[in-house]
Amino acid sequence: MVERAPDRLVRLLGMIAYLERHGGVPVEELAEQFQVSRRQVVDDVDTLWLTGTPGYWPHDLIDFDAAALEQGVVRVTQSRGMTRPLRLGTREAIALVAALRAMRESLVAGLDPDRLAVLQSVLHKLTTATGEAATIVDVRLAADGAPAVNAAVGAALQSGRRLKLDYVTAADVAGEREVDPLRLVTGERRTYLVAWCWRARAERLFRMDRVLSAEVLDVPVTEHPRSDHEDTFHPDTDAELVTLELESRARWVAETVPVESVRNRPDGSFEVDLRVVDPTWLRHLLLQIAGDVRAVRPRSVAVDVAQIARSALGAYDVTAPGQPAD
Amino acid sequence: MADPIPPAERLLNLVIALVNTGSRMSKEQVRSTVAGYGDAASDDAFERMFERDKDALRDLGIPILTVTGRGHGDDIGYRIDQDAYAMPQVDLTAAELGALSLAAQFWQDRSLRTDATRALTKLRAVGSGPEAGDLVAGLAPRVPAAGAALGPLLDAVHAHQAVTFSYRAASTGEVRTRVLEPWRLLVREGGWYVVGLDRDREAARSFRLSRIEGPVRGVGPAAAFVVPAGIDPAAVLDSRRAGTSAVAVLAVRPERASALRSRAVTGAIRSSQILGDLPDRDLIRVPYTSITAFVDEVVGYGDAVVVLEPRELRERVVARLRAAAALDPLMGAPGLPAPPGVTPGRPDQEEVSRRG
Repeated sequence: MVERAPDRLVRLLGMIAYLERHGGVPVEELAEQFQVSRRQVVDDVDTLWLTGTPGYWPHDLIDFDAAALEQGVVRVTQSRGMTRPLRLGTREAIALVAALRAMRESLVAGLDPDRLAVLQSVLHKLTTATGEAATIVDVRLAADGAPAVNAAVGAALQSGRRLKLDYVTAADVAGEREVDPLRLVTGERRTYLVAWCWRARAERLFRMDRVLSAEVLDVPVTEHPRSDHEDTFHPDTDAELVTLELESRARWVAETVPVESVRNRPDGSFEVDLRVVDPTWLRHLLLQIAGDVRAVRPRSVAVDVAQIARSALGAYDVTAPGQPAD
Repeated sequence: MADPIPPAERLLNLVIALVNTGSRMSKEQVRSTVAGYGDAASDDAFERMFERDKDALRDLGIPILTVTGRGHGDDIGYRIDQDAYAMPQVDLTAAELGALSLAAQFWQDRSLRTDATRALTKLRAVGSGPEAGDLVAGLAPRVPAAGAALGPLLDAVHAHQAVTFSYRAASTGEVRTRVLEPWRLLVREGGWYVVGLDRDREAARSFRLSRIEGPVRGVGPAAAFVVPAGIDPAAVLDSRRAGTSAVAVLAVRPERASALRSRAVTGAIRSSQILGDLPDRDLIRVPYTSITAFVDEVVGYGDAVVVLEPRELRERVVARLRAAAALDPLMGAPGLPAPPGVTPGRPDQEEVSRRG
């Protein structure tokens, strides 16, 4: 993607300010500092070299130590007064401060004291520098793992060691497995551990609220082939297509579940198409929203869920199977 | 003619010129002396270029001051005041830059992501050295995208300006125009919300951003309201979602519902709580805070988990199961009318209508 001019301008000004404070900086280090390629650093220096005050005679221009640059070191000799770092804009401050706050609140369980202290100090520096913009956005992420589990997973991720998990699947089957932890993905709804599962010999997502216990093993993690799947769930396009016709109250389904399409009706009800890989998941969903379901296609899905419900009602001994709802 | 000067270079030349100018530069001086503006093919093209650049710089936090001469009114000039754009003194360690780098990846939302990335570039300029990544190894917080409503709402909350938008109420599906004094934006389970004073209802309300349809527009001037003292905007949303704290008594099939069992607490279970004929079940006590969420969870276990107490929870689970049992029309009661207020959709032979 072509970089936008304003983004490049911010980096150009940032580089002069940085160089002004650090003297001569090797090209590689400057590239690492601003997370761009070495080639980009050289291009940026070339651009800076051509800019300056009107007239653009040699003494008007931003200037670098050419001999040092031959040796791969960038040193500014004339900055035309452009040494002050740029203040954060309101939205920029909001975006970073709200993110840091939410991280502090939600990741605290997986953080050791040293890492927590870093978050605290950067948050303090940023709020001091940006003022009240900080309170405009308030993010609370899921905190759905048990504290001991969160602590073990955090420690294993940081030290790069294998975990033994006692995990219960969506189908309610509990079992032990050893995993090499890769990432802890914390969303606003749930937290997932992305890990290489030694039992499945593949990368898997583990819901933190279904990890019953976690133990850090004294075994370092091994390198695994990188999976290209993302951290969020994207159903297969050849999975079964299920259509639900729902009352307006169940609108959250269209908003939180990956749906293929949504069709609104004038009376507020709507239809969603879902690709369903895991029948257990669909059963749970339908049991959750049963009161707001007008229709289900294909019919076999409705029959399946109704059967489970009748069997559960039997256990409650409050109504005979098949008796009409009232 | 030489190659045209790239936009980033032109912008930088403009900043340097306006910072270094003695008092101010007129538009004509900008056009004739600042490298890059000579490329403009016409007066109009120059005007557009200059206006766009001024806007771009303002968005970056580099305001261009308009200075009027004492003499005649049309003697307008421009300059940039470095004190207005400079960041207050701050130094960041490599570890702190690492934390910021993680924070910049926090948003899925494109506009927030752009803002956070740009902020990070600015902060890298005051870092002591390249960021240290090990601080945040393996942590990947993710907040869902908010959509087009977010940008205007952020600006309005900051400016204390009222907004108007079309909103689809979840309870009725009805779309209505709302006028809101927005106090704060929140992310909670289920996504983005804005909380504020609903001017028509004259009460604090929360709105889900995903239910806003069409554009969000500012209404009236900035600084039009203050967030009332003593009101916590987050509480407006959270109180509606918070539940009580209660303990359920559950009869669980052996080997099942380990996730519920792991949250069980100890405590005596009175024999009177054991209702019905449920042999071979384990009785456990599980605390919960939201009855709605707990009903959702328990129902998912089907007949493996039976609620004994409290009564309200039991009744709600049973009601839900009855609704689910009625999804199969062959077992339902044919001929029952549709519930009041519900207009059935078009009949379709493939469809299985609820309650037949």
